[in-house]
Amino acid sequence: MSHQLTAGICKRLFEADEPDDNLLELRPTVQFLSYKKVATGGAGSNVDRYRIIVSDGEHFLQSMLSTQLNYLIEENHIAKHTIAIIDKFTCNMVQGKRLLIVLGLTVVAKVSDKIGEPTALQAPPGARSAAHSASPAPDGPVSAPSASSGPTPAPGPQSSIQRQASKGGRNSAIFPIESLSPYMNNWTIRALVTQKSDIRTWSNAKGEGKLFSVVFVDDTGEIKATAFNKAVEDLYEKFQDGKVYYISKARVNLAKKKFTNVTNEYELTLERNTEVQECHDVVNAPTIKYKFVDIVELGNLEKDATCDVLAIVKEAGPLGEITTRSSNKTIMKRELTLVDRSGYTVRLTLWGAQAEQWSAEDQPVVAFKGVKVGDFQGRSLSMAMSSTMQINPDISEAHVLRGWYDAGGAEQSYQSHTNASSGGSGLAFKREEICPLEEVRELGYGEPDKPDVFSSRATVMHIKPDNLTYPACPTTGCHKKVVEVTDGWRCEKCSVTHEKPQHRYIVSAAVADWSGQLWFQGFHDAGQVIFGMTADELVEIRENNDSQYQNVLERAVGSTYNFVCRAKQDSYNDNIRTRYGISRIEPLNYAEEGKYIANLLRSEWAQ
Amino acid sequence: MSEHATPRVNSAILNNYIGRSVRLTCKTLRVNPDVALVEASDGGQITVRMLPDAVMPSQFVEIICQVQDPSTVKMQACINLGDKLDMKLVNDVVELSHDSRFTNMFNY
Repeated sequence: MSHQLTAGICKRLFEADEPDDNLLELRPTVQFLSYKKVATGGAGSNVDRYRIIVSDGEHFLQSMLSTQLNYLIEENHIAKHTIAIIDKFTCNMVQGKRLLIVLGLTVVAKVSDKIGEPTALQAPPGARSAAHSASPAPDGPVSAPSASSGPTPAPGPQSSIQRQASKGGRNSAIFPIESLSPYMNNWTIRALVTQKSDIRTWSNAKGEGKLFSVVFVDDTGEIKATAFNKAVEDLYEKFQDGKVYYISKARVNLAKKKFTNVTNEYELTLERNTEVQECHDVVNAPTIKYKFVDIVELGNLEKDATCDVLAIVKEAGPLGEITTRSSNKTIMKRELTLVDRSGYTVRLTLWGAQAEQWSAEDQPVVAFKGVKVGDFQGRSLSMAMSSTMQINPDISEAHVLRGWYDAGGAEQSYQSHTNASSGGSGLAFKREEICPLEEVRELGYGEPDKPDVFSSRATVMHIKPDNLTYPACPTTGCHKKVVEVTDGWRCEKCSVTHEKPQHRYIVSAAVADWSGQLWFQGFHDAGQVIFGMTADELVEIRENNDSQYQNVLERAVGSTYNFVCRAKQDSYNDNIRTRYGISRIEPLNYAEEGKYIANLLRSEWAQ
Repeated sequence: MSEHATPRVNSAILNNYIGRSVRLTCKTLRVNPDVALVEASDGGQITVRMLPDAVMPSQFVEIICQVQDPSTVKMQACINLGDKLDMKLVNDVVELSHDSRFTNMFNY
């Protein structure tokens, strides 16, 4: 079976002056003669690149495979002598030689023989190579037609618009961000600036410096760019959030994943000779891609996950200050109350400059990207280093939301995720992190520098019968112990005397699991779960019917619960004791726990 | 002791224990005075020859029985499990207890 290769394509590519549209829109059929893995330089890189020899039956050319297609070689879709149609490619001059970069391909067949007798192409005449290896070709008849070329993400009919718009002094091909690699040195990208950071200075052993960074986004991807020292002075003013620029002549390096969560293996370093030009072509401007989550679904996300949210800012709190315990720095913060059509509300915290600059014009629609989910009081959101927000963005979902709110959404009452969490601390029970009690004791939870919150599953073994309840002030929110006076019970905090106190639990229980036993302290919520009745009811039984009281106490023992506890150290007359307070206590849902364990046994861990 | 052990089974595993006593955790579908139709934890249906005057106390039961053929058993005793039971979880337990990794935990 012989396949028809696009004969002559290699020669044409080799000899073409500039990549012109016709050439790049061709989808030639070629054969891969061989491939070789090339290690990319730089520490910490675990990405290989493959160099392939591409033949058209008459000649062969060197080419590089775009990394997103690496899997084709690794999974053996491409092997020696495979025939494929190249859907998308671009051409570059590297050291005077033409290099093809394959961005997309379709495998046609795997063949065992080489087709034809392809030979190497002659090195191009000196003059041509000199002209090509110079950076952006000087203005000339070549500039207009080459303004838009095959690899740009813009679909065919729109490329003519780009061509017209970019006649103003731009003279090299636009590359997609996804194709950027250290192998290319003559590229221009057209991208939107989404996160411009402030100028930050540092000083370490090697001296001082300053930097700022931006994130560029286009239709194919995103990439972070940083400018250092002198470049900062030149370039800081040139970039503005939300505007589109043409950028060229920046250095492509391997990304330092530690400092960013932008998905790209590479990042750019902006230097003094980096060219930045604002793009006034509004048509087809790259926009930020969102994947919005309804507020009601935040409950399904784990703590510390990131997500995108589109909501109306119903209320914006005042600017506040917080002093961090660790570094004693004061940070500005502001809380926004968000609502959306799911009927739920959530609070989002802005920090630093964003908190200060927030100008609450009545209830705008805001799109948030990459905000962090927290579990403060059920569910909460917070802006992280890489989060962005767009006020009243021009996207259809935002308009729909605005319409809904103005038509009556504003009057709706909303639910929040603040579900019953004992003690209002909103800590979740994490069954994956269950800590055996003996380990809690051994690891010294509660000591300084050690974690203090833990989840456990244990059985109540014994409850201290004395001092199980105390009379408390019935005023909601005030749980202070009240003292019996002549005509009632007096609360010092509220300065009110009540006729009857509301009894509340203070439970001291010995709990045990397979590893060991610890004493846990619980308050009213814990007591209610353990005894199954309010403290008032228990007090009544205690005063009236002793045997029934004993019964109740006995029944409370032997039940197993899921606990979330906080360990704290107290000193008692020179003794340091760790006390374990119950933040959350939940009876077991056996079906759920059983399912979790069954899945665990089937997971990789159990093999 | 292994002859007295009654492994917990579902309709598929039942096949391996023909002639032996097993436990079948199941949901009752149809009860007649002498024969009942039940659904095992993996969905398979089994016919149960009941003891005279026996009563199926609730919707979910565990029947200790002797296996006659892949779809029929003879009831020896019956345990009431109430009206609510997660059969998927039961099936997980049944299958995992026969899993080769855990043979030394179960005296089957």
